Amino acid sequence: MKRIVITGAGAICGAGADPASIVQTLVQGQTSVGPITAWDAESWPCKVASEVPEYNGGKLLGDRKLLKLVRRSDVFGIYAGGQAIEQAGLPAALAALDENAAALYSDQTGCYVGSGGGAFEVNYDYFPLMAETGDSLQKFGQELSNMVNPMWLLRSLPNNVLCHVSIRHQLKGPNGCITNHTTSGMLSVIESAWALREGDAERVVAISHDAPIEPQTLQYLNRVGLISQGALRPFDAAHDGCVLGEGAASFVLETEASAAARGATVLAEYLGGGDASEGEGIFTIRSDGDGLSRAIEAALLDAGISAADVGMIVTHGNGTEQSDCSEAAALLRIFGSAMPPVTAFKWSYGHSFATSGLLDAVVGLEACRQQVVPGIATLQKLAEGCEGLNVSTQSRAPRSNIVLILCRGFAGTNAALLLRAVK
Amino acid sequence: MSARRRVAITGIGLVTPAGLDAASTWARIKAAKSCAGPITIFDASGFSTRIAAEVKGFDSLPPIDDRKLLKYASRAHRFALAAADQAIADAGIRPTLQDATRWGCVVGAGMMTVAHPEIAAVQQAAAPEGELIPNNIMDEPVANDVMAFSRSLSTAGVSLLLRRFGIRGYASTVHTACASGGQAVGTAMRLIRRGLADRVLTGGFDSMISPVGLSGFCLLSAVSSDNDHPERASRPFDLTRNGFVLGEGAGFLVLEEWESAVKRGATIYAELAGDGNSLSSYRITDSHPSGDGPIQAMRRAIADAGATTSEIDYLNAHGTSTPMNDRSECAAVNAVFGERAKEVGVSSTKSVMGHLIAAAGAVEAGICAMAIRDGLMPPNANLQQLDPDCDVNIVRDVPREQRIGMALSNSLGFGGSNSCLAFRHPDETAALIAAGR
Repeated sequence: MKRIVITGAGAICGAGADPASIVQTLVQGQTSVGPITAWDAESWPCKVASEVPEYNGGKLLGDRKLLKLVRRSDVFGIYAGGQAIEQAGLPAALAALDENAAALYSDQTGCYVGSGGGAFEVNYDYFPLMAETGDSLQKFGQELSNMVNPMWLLRSLPNNVLCHVSIRHQLKGPNGCITNHTTSGMLSVIESAWALREGDAERVVAISHDAPIEPQTLQYLNRVGLISQGALRPFDAAHDGCVLGEGAASFVLETEASAAARGATVLAEYLGGGDASEGEGIFTIRSDGDGLSRAIEAALLDAGISAADVGMIVTHGNGTEQSDCSEAAALLRIFGSAMPPVTAFKWSYGHSFATSGLLDAVVGLEACRQQVVPGIATLQKLAEGCEGLNVSTQSRAPRSNIVLILCRGFAGTNAALLLRAVK
Repeated sequence: MSARRRVAITGIGLVTPAGLDAASTWARIKAAKSCAGPITIFDASGFSTRIAAEVKGFDSLPPIDDRKLLKYASRAHRFALAAADQAIADAGIRPTLQDATRWGCVVGAGMMTVAHPEIAAVQQAAAPEGELIPNNIMDEPVANDVMAFSRSLSTAGVSLLLRRFGIRGYASTVHTACASGGQAVGTAMRLIRRGLADRVLTGGFDSMISPVGLSGFCLLSAVSSDNDHPERASRPFDLTRNGFVLGEGAGFLVLEEWESAVKRGATIYAELAGDGNSLSSYRITDSHPSGDGPIQAMRRAIADAGATTSEIDYLNAHGTSTPMNDRSECAAVNAVFGERAKEVGVSSTKSVMGHLIAAAGAVEAGICAMAIRDGLMPPNANLQQLDPDCDVNIVRDVPREQRIGMALSNSLGFGGSNSCLAFRHPDETAALIAAGR
């Protein structure tokens, strides 16, 4: 099978606005989780999250006009995608080509995006109209164009980042927008790699983005019992739920030949990915870690390596008892006592749903390139059922340059990714 | 190197404005009888567009035998469950405990996931003056209803399907607006080719016939406002076309690895032979008038199928009936086929059942499979005065009886994603396999 390499990476979240800054935050044992500022949540049972500080949409986009056509989540996605694309040197390469060569280059450059969508926030835009027109849908229809932004639908499209990144960077190849909640970002990388392996593209930009910190989402998650009262403590005896985060992450993946032709710096080799579901309901997770085990096994098979080759593991580690313990079960089943250093990142930058799988991969790769496995600073005592996990509060060295990243989501979905860091 | 794994379509399930199953939908489409009418689902009397193609009589269907599951299902999810049940029954095979991990599920899901009464309840309690008062959310019943939350999630549909059929392999949900259904089916096909699954349940579902859903399209003037003549409103390729008619529904297919489908004696509608995707990278709502974007998608689908333009007999066009789409799409057809464009029958079945948005590509994939089976190109209804810019060989008014060796189906989305699927007659596939290809 064709070798696939990664030549660009980008990320933004509460813990930093680029991959290296985020790793630094983690290595220093710092969390970016703090009181919610999006609204006054002082009286809420769960009042913390990891927000991107000093958010300035126009600045992040570098285009104030575009701000009218996109939402906060999209801004993060376009920003992170731009970082990765710049690092990979795609704009300069495109600019150096004549018209025909540029057209071919665009046709051979694809884009896969994992998007959160945003179920409730888009509806809030209708609240002024609904307040004005009350129970009368007739009046709602009559007043519609006077009270709602005519661009509302376009601003609300879940595939906005795919649209605007492709226009901005002239990407015209194979594409997709995956809206599979938490596994969206990781699936966008897996689909990107397949598009390259199958010869449908030479370069692909994978992006994931989400911004779920808003009142209705938080209220629901609290009702379901998934939100912590104070901090996200993966695998800890005191784990009591997850904390929301936001942001975006991106990789530029390409064929080895495409990267070599441009003289691009290779950050990593994509080794493989896997996906498996449990099919037991929207919030149900099997306690034996069955789906996650199968996703890891599928990724190892896809990569053609064995569990013993893995040098570090970035877990999903979302701090809920159900997920943590079943994740531990899966890792113990596959790695047993020969487990490489295991870590988790969400304690520092929260759970950003659709973003998270790709964000953990971008940050995990950067850490592995720096030869460091950041510790889990919130860890005090391992939870019952998580004993045997090779975790630490302190930074350690990876056992090899191969990093395994795990991701799990609602509907019993599980995904795993294997990358080989190149220094 | 061994030949690539091929993919068979062995089951079809449809819930559309044209009918509550595949057979009745196909019959209505062949009759070229438009399903558009006044909106009855809600009071649309104040909207600039008051017509749509609704799924009628759905509530009279016996509900699926899983009452608990239905609590987690919205209107679009119920369409999906019904269509998927039909597809699985049609294929005559379902996941077992032994092979569940070799089954995948890929769906194209609509973007509007919250029912209007729920939006209204939250607004009345938490935004009485229009501005959201976050603290009021905490005590509002809908915002505390876990079932409502479940239905709103982007993975709600795939979750219901995984659970209903006990599917435990690769699962994904995609949304590229009007290209969603096509991209979902294309992704599903690839899972089988890649060896990641042997069978995949795939499709799309959507219902945007709601106050907020319709509003989005009214604000963009994308929907036809021919309120006095709903049955004429969707008229793809007609010079006087003025927008699409919003539809709703679901389409599901069972895809199987070819050899295993043959081995178990399955009835194969067609080979799903090629998947082509591209980005227009032009504007959010349009592709370039030259057809740039759709051109690449069609060429890629044909190449992916290992075919040439000379083998294509029929194109199920995206054909939304908006001025820009139809012109750009026809330019693409002419660019791809050149002189041969005259010999390719083209129709938009949206002329009958409207635009099913995220479900459209999946439903139209089912239509293409039935067209190949029956050797019959479905007609394009409502074409009176052909737009000279839409100079393609349109199957007008009545079905065209003609053996279809290969068919294409286009789905072109807001946001610039273009999907084209290629289908091959099962006899042609068998001949290729016999020839060692």
